[in-house]
Amino acid sequence: MTMRRGVGLAAFDNHQRTAQQYSDLGSTFLQTHISELTDQLLTFQAALKKFAQSHADEIRSDPVFRSEFVKMCSAIGVDPLASSRANKKGSFWAELLGSDVNDFFFELAVRIIEICRRTRDENGGLMLVEDVKQQINSLPGRPPVSQEDIVRAVDTLAPLGHGFGIVRLANKDFIRSVPQELSRDQAVAIEATQALGYISVPILRDNLNWETARCIAVLDDLVASGLVWVDEQARPKEYWTPSWIRQ
Amino acid sequence: MSTLTSPTSSSTPSTSFPFPSIYSFPPFFTRQPNSQTWTSQLSLWSSLILAYCRYNRIWRIDLNTAIEWDLFNNRDISRSLKLETCREILDSMVKKGDAEWVSGSGSNPSKNTSAIIYWRRPEEWANIIADWIDSTGQKNAILTLYEIAEGDLSYSQDFRGIDATILRKALDVLIRRGQAQIMKSADGEEAGVKFFGSQ
Repeated sequence: MTMRRGVGLAAFDNHQRTAQQYSDLGSTFLQTHISELTDQLLTFQAALKKFAQSHADEIRSDPVFRSEFVKMCSAIGVDPLASSRANKKGSFWAELLGSDVNDFFFELAVRIIEICRRTRDENGGLMLVEDVKQQINSLPGRPPVSQEDIVRAVDTLAPLGHGFGIVRLANKDFIRSVPQELSRDQAVAIEATQALGYISVPILRDNLNWETARCIAVLDDLVASGLVWVDEQARPKEYWTPSWIRQ
Repeated sequence: MSTLTSPTSSSTPSTSFPFPSIYSFPPFFTRQPNSQTWTSQLSLWSSLILAYCRYNRIWRIDLNTAIEWDLFNNRDISRSLKLETCREILDSMVKKGDAEWVSGSGSNPSKNTSAIIYWRRPEEWANIIADWIDSTGQKNAILTLYEIAEGDLSYSQDFRGIDATILRKALDVLIRRGQAQIMKSADGEEAGVKFFGSQ
C-alpha cells in the first residue's frame, strides 16, 4: 500500500476533496472558456452579419458569388435558408445574414412554381432546369440566375409536399412538379428520348432489349401522363419529348 | 356606295413570317390524344394562326384553300395538319372569340369552312378608327366604308384593306358608343358613316 493512495477514512476524505477541487477548477476553467467563446461568437456574428450586408448586392446579382457564399455557410454549419418565411422571426441565421439570401431563394421558388404551372399541359410536369432558367433569365430587369440556384430553390420546396423535386435523367437536371414519380421504365424511356428527341417501339426494343409489349406499355404510359407528344405521321410512330421543342 | 373587295383567302401568302420553334416540332401537326397536351397544342396553334394572319394581313381563312398554306404544312419536316384538326382548332378559336364562322359557308351548313379571323377584336378596330378620325381631323365627316378602308388617308393604317364584315362590326361598336351614325340618302339607301369623334 502506497502513501499516495491513502487508507481508511482519511484517504476517502482526501479523495473527495481532490475531486471537488478538480471540479471547482474545472468549473472556473469552463466559465472562463465560455465567456471567451461567447465573446468570440459575438465578434464572429457581427462580422458575418456585416459581410452579408455589405455583399447583399453581390449575393443577389452574381450567381458565382452566391454559390460560394452558400458553400461557405454550409462549411461552417450554417444553413442560410433554414428559416421559413412563414415565421417572420425566422432562424438565428436568417436574421443574422439579413433576409437577402432567404428572400432570393424564396422569390426564385415562387417564379419556378409559376413557370411549372404555366407549362404543365405542355410537358406533363417534367421540365428541364435549363429551360426554366432560360425563361426566368429572359425577363428583363432582374439579375440572372444559375442552374445551381434553381436546383437549390427547388430543394427548399421538396419538404413542403407540393410534389416538387429534381430528377436527374441522361445527365441533365429536370424539375418534376407533379406528385407522381416516374417508374423505372418511364425514366429509362425518357432518358432514351434525350438522344434524338424521340423514341419509338423499334428504338426501345433494339436499344434496351425490351419485348414489344413492354415498349408499347411504357409509351402508352408516357402519353397518358402527358410526358411525350405523339407524331403519327412518322412510320413507325414517334414519341417526342417536349424538352426538344425549343432546341 | 362602292362595295369593298376583301382580299381573297385563296391567294397563298408570301412568307418571310418568322415561325416559332414549335412549328418545327413534328408532333405539332398531329392531333394529340392526351387531353391536357391537346389543350396546350390548341393554345399554341391559336397563337400561331393569329400571328400569321396579322403578319400577312389575312382577314379570313377558307379551310379548303388555307389547308395548302405553309402555315399548316411544314415542308422542311414533311408534316401537315389534317383538315379536321384545323377545323377543331378554328372551332376553339371561335369559342374564345378570336374568330367567327361565316354562316352558310360550304355546301353542308353544319360543316363550317370559312372563318373571319380577329387578330384584332372589333372593339380594338373601333378604337383605332376613332383615333384615326380624331388625328386626321375628320370629325363630322361622312365617309363610305370604301373610303375608310381604301382611301388615301388610311394608306398607312393597320385597318387598310380591312374585311368588310369586320369593318361593319367595328362601326357597330362606335355606333353603340354614340361615336358614329349611319347616314342614309333620300331613298333610304345607306350613304356613309358620320363620325362624331371620341370625347
